[in-house]
Formats: sequence, structure tokens, C-alpha cells
Amino acid sequence: MAMSMRRTLVGLYRGARYSLKNVESSVEARHPLPLVLPVRTKKRYFIPPAVGMKGKKHEDPEAQARAAGIVIQQQFMERPINIACTAGVFDPYIPPEGDARLSTLSKEGLKQRTEQIRQSAASQLAIRKIKEHDSLFSTKTFAEQAQEIFIEAHRALTQFNKEKLHSLVTERCYPEMTRGNRHKTIRWSFVESLEPPRVVHARCPDMVTKGNLYGQVTVRVHSKQTLAIYDRFGRLMLGSEEQPKDVLEYLIIERHLMNPYGRWRLHGKIVPSWAPAKDPVIRTILIPGPQLKPWEEYDTLNHEVPKPAAVQWYK
Amino acid sequence: MAAAGTGSGFVFVRNVCGLFRDSSRLAVLARPQQLSWFHSSSSLSTKNWEKKNLKVFPPQLPEEARRPAEVHHCRRQIKYSKDKMWYLAKMIRGMSIDEAVAQLEFNDKKGAKIMKEVLLEAQEMAVKTHNVEYKSNLHVAESFSSKGKYLKRIRYHGRGMFGIMDKVYCHYFVKLVEGPPPRPEQKTGLDQAREYVQKLKDRTVIHSL
Repeated sequence: MAMSMRRTLVGLYRGARYSLKNVESSVEARHPLPLVLPVRTKKRYFIPPAVGMKGKKHEDPEAQARAAGIVIQQQFMERPINIACTAGVFDPYIPPEGDARLSTLSKEGLKQRTEQIRQSAASQLAIRKIKEHDSLFSTKTFAEQAQEIFIEAHRALTQFNKEKLHSLVTERCYPEMTRGNRHKTIRWSFVESLEPPRVVHARCPDMVTKGNLYGQVTVRVHSKQTLAIYDRFGRLMLGSEEQPKDVLEYLIIERHLMNPYGRWRLHGKIVPSWAPAKDPVIRTILIPGPQLKPWEEYDTLNHEVPKPAAVQWYK
Repeated sequence: MAAAGTGSGFVFVRNVCGLFRDSSRLAVLARPQQLSWFHSSSSLSTKNWEKKNLKVFPPQLPEEARRPAEVHHCRRQIKYSKDKMWYLAKMIRGMSIDEAVAQLEFNDKKGAKIMKEVLLEAQEMAVKTHNVEYKSNLHVAESFSSKGKYLKRIRYHGRGMFGIMDKVYCHYFVKLVEGPPPRPEQKTGLDQAREYVQKLKDRTVIHSL
């Protein structure tokens, strides 16, 4: 490459000198004009990268600037995080055994009823605190309102309407409701309410600072619902669309009382430990067994399949 | 030469205008549904294989046949040649997943190890997220490789010459479908003979009496 360029330059130079000699001899002979006409080599359309970059790897422009003494004004990016709901259920309600099993007319049923009517003192305190901040709150109308919120939230879940769901359900409850449901079709319908909904429990926890009050109210809902979940390919995974089921639930509705624009939203659900077992999913699930050594057989090992313990979970 | 060039250009333009002035063309232009000769959907993303896993089908009616589950999986920018990967991809097409994994495990090629990982990942995904009941009840429906983004380097030759060396990368795509692998149709000699005779009988003879 370089050799060919030099050769052409030398040739031109000689040629120029010859022509000049012929035309003007005396003046130009003392200053031999170099006449550097760079003849272009073949244009390389591809320049291979990283030709001189082999040694250059550890360059820190920040450190270099600091060493040079240049000061750059640091802009602190502050992003305020707004917490609009509590992280869990504060002092969850423990539903009495056999809640929806006993008829109100029997002796046990009446006893349960009288106990329930006279709520605990903490709940009364909490309700009074809520009434301080939210003047429209009333135990009698709130239960109906809670049921409405519940129905609307589940309807929004079937349509997967994110904005509406966020307005009806707290941020803590949202991932629990929607996890794994993004690519599934859910068909849910509220058939009827078997008993009028009732407020059973209320608490007023405060988060972080002392005055930051949230109100959590537990509402008992006994209703008939149908649920059918179809997977991504339209195959039935759980439940059935025609067969309604009786459901006894304790819904926790929460509101940020300090916030004047706060709304009552569904925060969670309590399922008692004595609730009847749910229907199994329509598929076989592999429960991982013990790791066998090459000489062992599964039949000889006395391995018990672990059964899930019946605990009350509040979610 | 320039003048002649413009002259011919003029004639050309006139011809083109004449074509458009034709009434049939006008009719074509007037129809509103024909205005779709421009590309309307615009997206630069080429990662479409992953998006196939996000498609949701409507719920099936009880009398419909059960739709088999499909899982699409891929691995991008594998440091291997796409042509060498093709041989392995062609080998496992149509096999059941256990068979495919077994074959790849005992294959000596570098791409076999990577392909086996991809298949096992896809199997796990199918069982966990895509509601596939039995992990062995899957077969490889589609399997192919394609070119990834290459890195370019210099390969030095003698006499100051150089060549551009490509550092090859490839992508590997696989689609697992629930169910046993489809059996290729076994044709007997009698069937083939029958078909041949039928083809002879179906010939149309033109210009005959």
C-alpha cells in the first residue's frame, strides 16, 4: 500500500520536473517545486475496527476529570415514593368455628349471634376513629358498599381492566389477584348473596409516622359465585361455569384516612382454617419425591406424601 | 449527450403520465379499500418468537377437541455457526422431547449441549406456566437456526493484505407441542401402484376422436 503510493509520487515528481525544465529553466530550477499530488489509493469501504485500540481499555473519564480538577454539579434525583396502602392486615379477625354452619334458630347459633353483635372494644374504638375522619362512614351502609366494591373488582379482573382494578383494589392486593392471570381467561359471576353482608371487625393502624392513619374494616360476605378459569389455550383449568358454589369470605377493605381523596379499596381476604377444601385443579401435579440413590427403590422407603396443613390464611 | 438524455426523459415521463391517465387506473385509485399498498404496522423489534408465547386463545366450548398446548422458546446470540447448528436442528425435528434430549446428550458437537439446555428450559416453562400436564407428552414441532449479529475482526494475510473475519453467532428457535409426535404416513407398494394407475387413468387426451 505505502510502497505503491511512494512510487506514484516519485513518478509524478520526475514528470513535473521534466515539463518545468522544458518551459522555464532558470527561475524554477533553484526551487524545485515538490508538487505533492497525493494519488488516492483504492478507497476501502470497510475500515476494520479496533486497529489501535488493543491497549486502551481502562479509561475512566470521571477519574480523569476529578484529577484535572473539573467539578460537575451533582443533580440529586429525588423520586418520592407514595405509599397508599399498608403492607398487610393489622390484627386479623379470627372467625369463630363453624360460622356459616349453624342455623341462627338453634341455641349455639343464637349464642354465636349475640357474641358477634357485641363487637370487641377495639373495633368500636376503631370505628369511632374512622368516623372522625370520614363523616359518611356508617356500619350499616358500609357492608353493602363493601360488597359492591368486591363485585366490581372481580368484574374488572375478568376484563383485566388495569386502571379500574387499581382504583378498586389496593397495591398490596393487586399482585395477589393478578399473578399468573395475565394470559388466562377468567369467567366469574356473582349469582346472589345468601346473607346480608356484615361488618365484623375494624382496626386503625398507623404506618411509619404516628399520625398516618389507615382504616381496615373486615366484612363478612356469604354468597353464591361461579368461577371458571381457562388457560392460554382455552382449556378449562379450574371450576365450572354452570355450577355455583357457596362462598363464605371475610373481606378486608382499607382506606388511607389521612388522605382526603382516599377511597375504600379491597385489601385482602381471610379464609378460615375450617373452610371446606377447594376443588382440585384439572390436571395432575408432580410432587417432588426423595432423591433416590442408584441402589434404592421408592417402594421400600417409607416416604409420606406431605399434606398441606389446614391453617387460616389471610391474604 | 445531455440534451438527448433530457429528451428521452421527457418522452418517458409522458408515457408514464399516459398510463396513469388511463380510466382503469383512476377506478383503482378511487376504491378506498385499495389504498392499503403502504405498510401500516410499524415496529422495529425483531423478537417475534418470544411474543408468540403471549397469544391468548378464547375459551373452548365443551364439544370442541382439546387444543394442544404450544411453547415457543429460543436462545439468541449463541457462539456457533448457523450452518453447523442446522444439522442438529434438522436431526431433532419431529422427535419426542425425551428422545431429542437423549440424542443431544450423546452428540459430540458443541451446539448439542446448548440445544439440550434450551429444550429442557422449554420443557420446564411448559409445565410451570403453560399448563402442560405431563412433561414427557411434548414433541418438537419446529426447530431451526438463524444468523445472529456477527462481530467483524481482521485476519492478517501476507504482503499487507487483510481479510475481514466474521465471528459467527446464531439464534436457535424451538416450538414444543403437547401430544405424541406425529407419525409419518407409511405408504405400501400397493398404494403407490394404485396411485400410479389412477394418474394414468386421469390423463386428459386432447384432440382425440
